[in-house]
Amino acid sequence: MKTMGLFLGCNIPLKLPDIEQSFRKALPELGIDLVDLEGASCCPSWGTLPSFDLPTWLAVSARNITLAEAKDVDVVTGCNSCFGILAETKHIIEHDEEYRKAVQEKLALINREYKGTSQVYHVLHALYKFVGPEKINEKIKYTLKQLTIAIQVGCHALWPSKVMAIKEPNPFFPTILKELCEALEADVPHYSRIEACCGMGGMRSTNMEKSLGLLKEKLISIKEEIDADMIVVGCSSCYLQMDGGQKILRDRGEIDFEIPVFYYTQLLALCMGFDPKQVAAINEIPREEIIARIQSEERLKEKQEG
Amino acid sequence: MYEGVVVLNEKDRELAIKTIMERGGDGVLRCIQCGACQSTCPMAFADFTLNPRKLIRLIQLGFLEEMIEDSSTWACQACNRCVEICPRNVKPFEIVFAYRRYQAMELAFSTSAVQSQMNLYMKGHAVFSEAYKETRQKVGLPPETPTAVSYPEALKEIQTLIENSPIMELGLF
Ligand code: SF4
Ligand code: SF4
Repeated sequence: MKTMGLFLGCNIPLKLPDIEQSFRKALPELGIDLVDLEGASCCPSWGTLPSFDLPTWLAVSARNITLAEAKDVDVVTGCNSCFGILAETKHIIEHDEEYRKAVQEKLALINREYKGTSQVYHVLHALYKFVGPEKINEKIKYTLKQLTIAIQVGCHALWPSKVMAIKEPNPFFPTILKELCEALEADVPHYSRIEACCGMGGMRSTNMEKSLGLLKEKLISIKEEIDADMIVVGCSSCYLQMDGGQKILRDRGEIDFEIPVFYYTQLLALCMGFDPKQVAAINEIPREEIIARIQSEERLKEKQEG
Repeated sequence: MYEGVVVLNEKDRELAIKTIMERGGDGVLRCIQCGACQSTCPMAFADFTLNPRKLIRLIQLGFLEEMIEDSSTWACQACNRCVEICPRNVKPFEIVFAYRRYQAMELAFSTSAVQSQMNLYMKGHAVFSEAYKETRQKVGLPPETPTAVSYPEALKEIQTLIENSPIMELGLF
């Protein structure tokens, strides 16, 4: 059993708590116990302190990491921005003496000290390293045989690889999320825009049309090249864009299809038999039909194995 | 200083480079304009007026103020594809963000950035929605989150860090 500090961020606990529920349901059953990091703040996201003052960004992030250090646990987070920000912070503080000094001075104002004893993991990386595809497959109740998944990892879980504890062999051809989906027995083919940005983040708040343009190109690649039954994301911001942005494009008639979207641990929790009303309940593009197909009698693993 | 390079205005050039380096963009002089970053950058794909290669060139030439109203840098996704791919360890993302910091401290940013700063300062969360308790209960979670918004002493710590930063000069809060 491994115990990890769950860093929630903003979008997941406040807007997409069904994703939070999916962590709380699925991870402990797979051998990862979660403890809360009480008082954790926004990572702080790219558009806030990182865009204004570098040392203040690092100090607020470092404060978040000290919450895990105090509990003697590693950090696990499901939001890619949080992961990117915290991993980057850790990297800078531990590689640049000047910034480390500046951060410690700021933390002293609130009686804290950065020790560097906690590692920062993305939830996909933690599942991959501490559980692994094989054990995941053992724990699922329903399989996704003959269903096709388009994966969308999300930028900050891929680059820059130098700040990450768990690295993809080649982040431009990501395989970790692919293997995790294959552990649910789904088909996970390559498509040409697999590493392309979904357009969320700063781009969406700066120029909505350009942001939706990137999304549209990505969705059409998924539809035309692999005709996926669902999109599976590893980032809560990608989720908001692939689901909510897709709805906008659909309503405008810019696309003539709908592809349901899941955060990976939501799909995992559904395959483990958890209640969709808790673990997969907030969406714009309908998911009822695909959820009913997933949690159906004929997909029961024990039946298939006879 | 740079033989064979036409320098438009040495003073402007020095100021531009110093401004960027002080704000985290220390690789700016290493860029050879190969275009690798641009070839993989979402900002470039979405056709914003600036992309990391272009921005770096303009800074190297001593243009700083000239682009201050251009919002391209705020569309940077912080995705770090450019950092991964740059053959000269320029860390283009850090230069884009260094430029953003220069813009921000000159008050050249959009209102959406103000709202999230305010949220961070007041609630501890850049993204905030008043309806969160109800949403959480619907999926079977306790209404309160274990995060800063539920812990006044945590909020105080975050406010102390922000209050002791140059951001206060902007008079946002
Ligand atoms: S990849 Fe590096 S060297 Fe090439 S243009 Fe971009 S910043 Fe300059
Ligand atoms: S970090 Fe910014 S500049 Fe670099 S590739 Fe991503 S969007 Fe482009």
